[in-house]
Amino acid sequence: MRTSLFYLTSVSLASLLLGIIVTIIIPAEEPIGPSPLARPYTAQEARGRDIYKREGCHYCHTQQVRGPEANKGMIHQPGDIGPESAPGDYYYQSPVFWGTERQGPDLTHVASRQGLGNNKAWHILHLRNPRAVSPGSLMPSYDYLSPEELDALAVYLLTLK
Amino acid sequence: MWSDEQGSASRRFFYSAVFWLLVPGLIGLFLATFLYVPSFYDNLPLVVKPYLSFGRLRPTHVNIMIFGWLSQAYAGAILFILPRLTRTRLYSERLAHVNWWLWNLMMVGAAITLPLGLTQGREYAEMIWPLDLLAVLNWGLLAVNIWVTVMRRREPKIYVSLWNFMAATIVFIPVYMVGTKIWDPGGAYTGMTDNIVNYFYVHNLFNSWFTTAGVGLALYLLPKLTGKPLYSHRLALWGLWSVWAGQHHQLYSAAPDWLEYLTVVFSILAVVPTTAFIVNFFMTMRGSWNRVRDDVALRFLATGAIFWGLTCVQGVAQSFRTFSLLVHFTNWTVGHSHLAFVADYTFWAFALIYVMVPQLAHRPLHSRKLMEWHYWLITLGMTLFMAALWIAGVIQGLDWMSGRIPFLETVQAMHPLFGARLLGGLMAGAGVLCFVYNIWQTARRPQTAPAVALVGGGGE
Repeated sequence: MRTSLFYLTSVSLASLLLGIIVTIIIPAEEPIGPSPLARPYTAQEARGRDIYKREGCHYCHTQQVRGPEANKGMIHQPGDIGPESAPGDYYYQSPVFWGTERQGPDLTHVASRQGLGNNKAWHILHLRNPRAVSPGSLMPSYDYLSPEELDALAVYLLTLK
Repeated sequence: MWSDEQGSASRRFFYSAVFWLLVPGLIGLFLATFLYVPSFYDNLPLVVKPYLSFGRLRPTHVNIMIFGWLSQAYAGAILFILPRLTRTRLYSERLAHVNWWLWNLMMVGAAITLPLGLTQGREYAEMIWPLDLLAVLNWGLLAVNIWVTVMRRREPKIYVSLWNFMAATIVFIPVYMVGTKIWDPGGAYTGMTDNIVNYFYVHNLFNSWFTTAGVGLALYLLPKLTGKPLYSHRLALWGLWSVWAGQHHQLYSAAPDWLEYLTVVFSILAVVPTTAFIVNFFMTMRGSWNRVRDDVALRFLATGAIFWGLTCVQGVAQSFRTFSLLVHFTNWTVGHSHLAFVADYTFWAFALIYVMVPQLAHRPLHSRKLMEWHYWLITLGMTLFMAALWIAGVIQGLDWMSGRIPFLETVQAMHPLFGARLLGGLMAGAGVLCFVYNIWQTARRPQTAPAVALVGGGGE
């Protein structure tokens, strides 16, 4: 019986270790540099990104555009979901906010949406009272954030080009 | 506080699990109401709004559900089963009590920090560093009790459930450490790797802990409740290769294509152990279906197994790129996760608690009628809840892929389905209240004569 316990332990751990090597370490070793969209964050942008994390924006907004929907999916205009995400886009990010849910639209390229997402004043207005700007929206109102926090968050959102 | 009475730690784990179940239940109803009538949140007083915001309550809901309720119910049941299958005393009842205190310290910590917005920002791995350390310690202490008790057993045979408990702890602890980057207080990797590790962890939290240990628990209870031996003991442990399938949570993503194909292959391979369990379960059930009418615990166990089969069918379907493209990011996923965590593992936990708590409390269950109400309310409620979200998900997926409908309209189209989800959630919540009240009344009633085996099955 001692041998089979030993067998159980070693097979389980070997399978796990091999899984970690193949599915985590080998992909991590691929040489991926920053893409043209990747950017190191300024202090204020990083602060905005922390607020994004603290408020859990990523539970409803993804930051990844999949190949088949790229330049096809519609947020306001047909195709304005933007181009497909590349690994290098996330070069400077920790943690990443790829997300699993879209109760709201994908934000990968939100700052490229003319007249809306590329406008800081629009973002602040929308964050404070989403339904005044987008009737029928399900977003919580972030009127509890201070003007400084709203500003930082909007500045971060403008980096998502 | 550190009682050496046999079964006392198991009882405590069950009671605290039942308490914690109320928290994600209430949060879930709050969030479902919000998604149906968002303006209701707008009108709340400004002082409470930060702590009740969707993005903060969502991780609170998830973490307390899986670590406060389900994992503590699992721990209680494992501690109950260990001495019975090994024919010896639990290695250390006192250690199990320490484990219980630390576990609840971790949950109180999570219940406070997550609504405050203290988070590592990674799905299912949100708890901050000190709580991550406590989590590793907690699973470690539980593992010590499991492993040493099995080593000291007087029963020569190691029943399949014990194998599962041992495998679950030994795989899950390293998974948690790697997944939450335990050596780094920030708890996040950088770039693409962060997402790959996140979903390696999420998948294996499900695979190595909830499934491996959960299958062990179900395979203990099933022969007890049907009075029949297990159909086959030569059951493979939950496929070890499933450890490799994590990346199927993010298909068509920026991760390498070869990794996606690999993980799809391993996801399809997972059909083998899944089918083995389902065949084993339902062959053992054969001829016992008439018992389901009177035995609510067995009914919960069998219903959970049916939902478990459906989870696996959906899981394999979702790991195909074409189907993933349609339903990923939609409300289908929310339906799928509630299928796994509520309709199967939670249903099994209800069965375990209905059988074990009366034995541990040395008194019969307070009310049979409430058990029936509990079963029907939560089964019908969850069915409505999940059906609404699956329909919602397919509609969303088709709308998005059409490329012709503004996103906001696809959100507005969810309104009636979110109404149905709220209704289903309210029914399930009412069922949970029947359950909690019933257990509470059982626990507080004065100790009576030896427990009547109200729900069948039971001790040695």
